[in-house]
Amino acid sequence: MAAGTLSAQKLYSEKHIDYVKKLDSRKDELEYWLTEHLRLNGVYWGLTALHLLGCPDGLPREDAINFVLSCQRENGGFGAAPGHDAHMLYTVSAIQILVILDAVDELEKRGLGGKQKVGSFIAGLQDQNTGSFMGDEWGELDTRFLYGALNALSLLNLLDLVDVTKAIAYVQKCENLDGGYGICPGAESHAGQVFTCVGALAIAGRLDLVDKDRLGSWLSERQLDNGGLNGRPEKLEDACYSWWVGASLAMIDKLHWIDGSKLAAFILRCQDPEAGGFADRPGHAVDVFHTHFAVAGLSLLKFEGIDEVDPVYCMPKAIIRKIFSA
Amino acid sequence: MASHGIPRHASLETTGEARQQELRKIEKYRDLELIVREQIAGRRYTHATLQNISELLKKNPEYYTVWNYRRQVLRHEFQQVASEESYEAEIDRIAALIRTDLQFLIPLLRSFPKCYWIWNYRMWLLEEAKHLLPNVVARQLWQEELALAGKMLSLDSRNFHGWGYRRFVVETLETLSPKEENQKNLTEAEFEYAKKMISTNLSNFSAWHYRTKLIQRLLSEKSASDEERKQMLNDELELVHRALCDPYDQSLWFYHQNLMCVFDPVKSGQTMLPNLSTTERLEYLQREIDRIQDMLDGAEDCKYLYQALIECTLLIARVEGTTPEGDQKQQILHWLSELKQLDPLRAGRWLDLELSLCR
Repeated sequence: MAAGTLSAQKLYSEKHIDYVKKLDSRKDELEYWLTEHLRLNGVYWGLTALHLLGCPDGLPREDAINFVLSCQRENGGFGAAPGHDAHMLYTVSAIQILVILDAVDELEKRGLGGKQKVGSFIAGLQDQNTGSFMGDEWGELDTRFLYGALNALSLLNLLDLVDVTKAIAYVQKCENLDGGYGICPGAESHAGQVFTCVGALAIAGRLDLVDKDRLGSWLSERQLDNGGLNGRPEKLEDACYSWWVGASLAMIDKLHWIDGSKLAAFILRCQDPEAGGFADRPGHAVDVFHTHFAVAGLSLLKFEGIDEVDPVYCMPKAIIRKIFSA
Repeated sequence: MASHGIPRHASLETTGEARQQELRKIEKYRDLELIVREQIAGRRYTHATLQNISELLKKNPEYYTVWNYRRQVLRHEFQQVASEESYEAEIDRIAALIRTDLQFLIPLLRSFPKCYWIWNYRMWLLEEAKHLLPNVVARQLWQEELALAGKMLSLDSRNFHGWGYRRFVVETLETLSPKEENQKNLTEAEFEYAKKMISTNLSNFSAWHYRTKLIQRLLSEKSASDEERKQMLNDELELVHRALCDPYDQSLWFYHQNLMCVFDPVKSGQTMLPNLSTTERLEYLQREIDRIQDMLDGAEDCKYLYQALIECTLLIARVEGTTPEGDQKQQILHWLSELKQLDPLRAGRWLDLELSLCR
């Protein structure tokens, strides 16, 4: 697709690298403390963005590993930051970070009970009746957690700890007539949930269950005239949907059903060319979440100067290749 | 860290009074956080602790661990009540605790309607009510939640938390109201609600989606005959045709596509009318094509019309168990050429379709 050559605007890679590297030095801003509940996700977002931008050593490796391990709780799961409760969302980020840093063995050396303990925490959150997954002991259900569980367990080579067949049957119950998927059975199709459901099917090797033409059509209709993608019919565009929609299309081999160069141009308009980082829409305040998904979106489009991303795991492709060829 | 829709400002003043003010705010916030953590670590599940938790959550409703602390304190309070008082007094007291807490959440939901953790906490609280209180008391609490879901959706009619919450409440009310008659009434009331939301805004796909699901429930709850099901389909087709006097609305076309699934041999099992004969399917589809072609008059630039024409024609071929040939194929290729002009964003999709026809 070579979107980079068609786009008038340039990518401010250096600025973005700088923006991510300095995120942890903003302790004199209230926002830094108000977002502590996202810290471990933030490290995953920042680290992946740095890798894709060609700066894999941008965060000090030892510090990152130490921080991840400091977030582990007695039950084997990880919280967002030290002292925060364990939850699926942060446990998945923890594993993704350790995989990216090639440091999973640190779980055996310094973690609580090794990777088996982490696997048990995740497996313990599966609902034996429905096959779905909870976020934590308090019982919230969401297909995000099901995807997260399969993502982390497959990275740890521990998928056999859970009932994958039941989980997949649950995903199918979330499918709607438009080919999309919702947050739970009965819920409206939503691009974020489409990503998690298709991702879960991809990990389980069951993409054959997807109605690719119908879902591809629905996903392609997410693109608006300004080039950006929305998450549901008649909603506004947002840079993060470049990922949720784009990766879903890529997993079912339909990424060419949208206009890649127009999407790339939209993503680039969401950059802050001075301070670095990406926002949800042009002119808005940037954050590391949108920066990560915007860069990952550009990567899907094979944008020049960005490393290849894996559409299922949202991690550098080379790392995913290596871990599954081992 | 994941901000949506916030305008970009020039970077913050880093010296002087503004900076001092920011540092004071941080100190205050972190002090409060430290106090709460110490209180929880020391298992001091007191009123004072709950107050501090409330303060902290008002400052930062995304702080999920603190919502968990709140659950711990509430559970402790529930247990205290159980060990001290008579059964009636116990019920009153627990109901009052839950009501007060539900009330605490309202302003937070209004200010942060997209915060997962607040909605989750509310659901947890109501689940507690279900387990701790007699059915009739719990049902009253749950019943009131429908009004809240309605209010939240009137503020943002597409909020998927609001729609999800509504479904959750309705599903639970059904288990709390075991009589069949009540369930039917509830489904009918919800159908009316979806209707109202659609009439307020035809573009509200969330409401159309809900309608799709409710129709099936309605029909299955009254064990509808095929004739009744057909009547429902006819009414829905008429409704969507009337709405499509504005053919540029994507939500309407997705609802239309849902209805067309009735005629799709692969999908019909998941629709309101699974048992149509082949002849009837073909008749319906042909009438649909004629009608959409009429709509083209004056709306030749509307891509959705061509998409629907192609969809219906491909469905005819599928019902007949063939692939489009001759006139059918020429028609589709003609509509495709219009689409390529009108909808270049999806050029790759139109090209794939063309190739699949010419294989």
